[in-house]
Amino acid sequence: MSVFTDYKKEIMDAAHDERIRIALSRAIKSYRENANNALKKFPHTIKMAEEVRVIKEKAIGEMERLVQQACEAITENRGQAYIAKTAEDALNIIGNLVGRDKLVVKGKSMTGEEIGLREHLEEQGNEVYETDLGEFIVQKLNSRPMHILAPAVHVPKEAVAQLFSKITGQELTPDIETLVATARKLLREKYFQADIGMSGANVVAADTGTLILIENEGNIRLATGAPPVHIALVGMEKLVPTLGDAYKVAEVTWRYANYTVPSYVSLVSGPSKTGDIEKVTTYGAHGPREFHVVFLDAGRTELAKHPVMCQALYCLRCGGCLYECPIFAVTAGHFGDKYFAGIGAVWAAMMMDNKEKAAALAYTCLTCGRCKIRCPMNIDTPEMVVELRRLIAEGA
Amino acid sequence: MDKKAKELIPPGLVYIADNITSKQNVLGAPKGTGAKWAKDLNLPKEAKTIFFAGCGYQYATGLEFMMSLLRKIDKSPIGAELPMSLASFQKKIGVDLGGVYRKLLVKDSNSDGQPLRDAVKVLRNLGVEFGYLADDEPCCGGLLHYTGLQNEFAQNARRVYDRLKSHGVKQIISIVPSCTYTLRDLMPKYIEEYDLEVKHFSEVVLEGIQSRELRFPRGVRVTYHDPCQLARYLGLIEEPRQILRAIKGIELTETDWTNREWATCCGGGGGFEAVFPELSEILAVNRTRELVETGAQIIVTQCPGCIMQLENGLKELKIDDVEILDLAQVVAMAMGV
Repeated sequence: MSVFTDYKKEIMDAAHDERIRIALSRAIKSYRENANNALKKFPHTIKMAEEVRVIKEKAIGEMERLVQQACEAITENRGQAYIAKTAEDALNIIGNLVGRDKLVVKGKSMTGEEIGLREHLEEQGNEVYETDLGEFIVQKLNSRPMHILAPAVHVPKEAVAQLFSKITGQELTPDIETLVATARKLLREKYFQADIGMSGANVVAADTGTLILIENEGNIRLATGAPPVHIALVGMEKLVPTLGDAYKVAEVTWRYANYTVPSYVSLVSGPSKTGDIEKVTTYGAHGPREFHVVFLDAGRTELAKHPVMCQALYCLRCGGCLYECPIFAVTAGHFGDKYFAGIGAVWAAMMMDNKEKAAALAYTCLTCGRCKIRCPMNIDTPEMVVELRRLIAEGA
Repeated sequence: MDKKAKELIPPGLVYIADNITSKQNVLGAPKGTGAKWAKDLNLPKEAKTIFFAGCGYQYATGLEFMMSLLRKIDKSPIGAELPMSLASFQKKIGVDLGGVYRKLLVKDSNSDGQPLRDAVKVLRNLGVEFGYLADDEPCCGGLLHYTGLQNEFAQNARRVYDRLKSHGVKQIISIVPSCTYTLRDLMPKYIEEYDLEVKHFSEVVLEGIQSRELRFPRGVRVTYHDPCQLARYLGLIEEPRQILRAIKGIELTETDWTNREWATCCGGGGGFEAVFPELSEILAVNRTRELVETGAQIIVTQCPGCIMQLENGLKELKIDDVEILDLAQVVAMAMGV
């Protein structure tokens, strides 16, 4: 059981790390205040979340049909769509599209983290920039994301100042505005020099083949708008039948991610085009000439068939549950693998060969159930975790 | 339990599971040890309605001793090996867990089961007629379910049900949240003909005190800690608050944000404390801090696990002017029984 021993040491080190405790207590306080305000200001969100649960249940039940429909729509829009059965397939498809010696700018993507996309492209000899501020910090720290929406949730401003001082060679104070301006300056030119821009998607409409991308920083707009090629990697569970459904999913997602409304929501359905000269449609006007969407299965169609575990696929990745987990509050993403906390244990079991790590995560959950109270999809994580323990105990 | 299962289940939980299946209690104490608290109460062993005491309170002293031992080991240099094997640990540190029970036997039985004795007095005062199975009370086996041992849980559930039926039981008044949830919601999933009516102590009390005058011996500021299973699994959130509000002299105050269904877990959920004793203690301290910040003189809750955790939280925070009581103790005091 050395995996368990190592893991236990990791989470105990985290639990004794004062920096994690401070950063998390600030984040939890701010999340609760913002989420409460957002829900108070837009109370219809709660009913809308119930509607979205129904949409998701239906969508997960017909995921394989929806992915076909989305691929057809994207092709019709003059984009290119792919279905990757495994993480390796996805890396191969994207690896071939990117090639080598390219400059790549990336929006944050948990699905990218899941398959190790950045590392793969770097190994292939490309220069890859994470453009989300939190993800950029994590990349430069050689760390890994500790929250699905706020990857650098575990890093206090003092540590960011130290890091950016090292990168720029200038002595920077832990003034957040200065730090944000520094990141902007460091990344600005990369968007326009980049050969390829990459993103994920928060939700995808199968009928129109539209990706919805929610953000506040503006990095995704630049990364998916400025370079000549846009490649998106999307988990199949993000598909819903219609654009109307997709909008509802998006609104519920950002509200439970504690925003009244995000600064930017992009809808991307195909490559950039114009018909302004003699009504001749020409591709690659101001935006990318090429648009590629890779849909990732990697265990999702199997998970969808399980009567209890399929709930994990209803997750909108708003990240609300993490702020409610008492263990996450003291260990951050160390209680997790690619995804975190109780529901992260289920994802880990789905995509990892490492049964011991999945078991360690499964037995770390308190099954206290506060995550379920927060979850807009009412996902019963304690139920999934107990079911996962059963599968582990029975050697399945 | 097959060997494969034992490889991936943390040994702390395997140990408890073995205790349940072999000794019918989580501590692995000899049969009957847990029933001592009731020996002077003259509760009938055969009754339609029984009081289900549960392992948590009946073995409180032993469990607390075991936990403090596990925490000490967990913090020591060999702590990282704790998940490896409890048995090899015992050898390594020369501690005989069996000795814990022998200690229990010589210990003054009055120290265990005060909340249980108070619950019995309260129910009697309300005119409820009930019995208690004493050394025949089975372990509900809830922890088998949370460990992932559903086959063992199903077998245990059958044994428990048959035992209860053989005593002619029709209704159960249960006090431990986890036992209550197991008896009320989990067992019927495994036993088709399940027909036992299960109520939690607080539900029975609330029904009974409607027209009663209750007064706490002194004016106190009280906060209430919701046990996870009682609040989020069983939905018993307002009942204890209504009871506390009905008692004159008690001023009920709530934690900021983390109350009712948003209550923070004490860190002792589903056997977690046996797998990660030190982390469990950190969580206990965090929750205790939230509760103490209300300025309450008494923290009231309804779960032996929570009480154990919060007591330890107070100890770690070096706070000695705050008391932790089960709701049954508070109601008993307010009734003067």
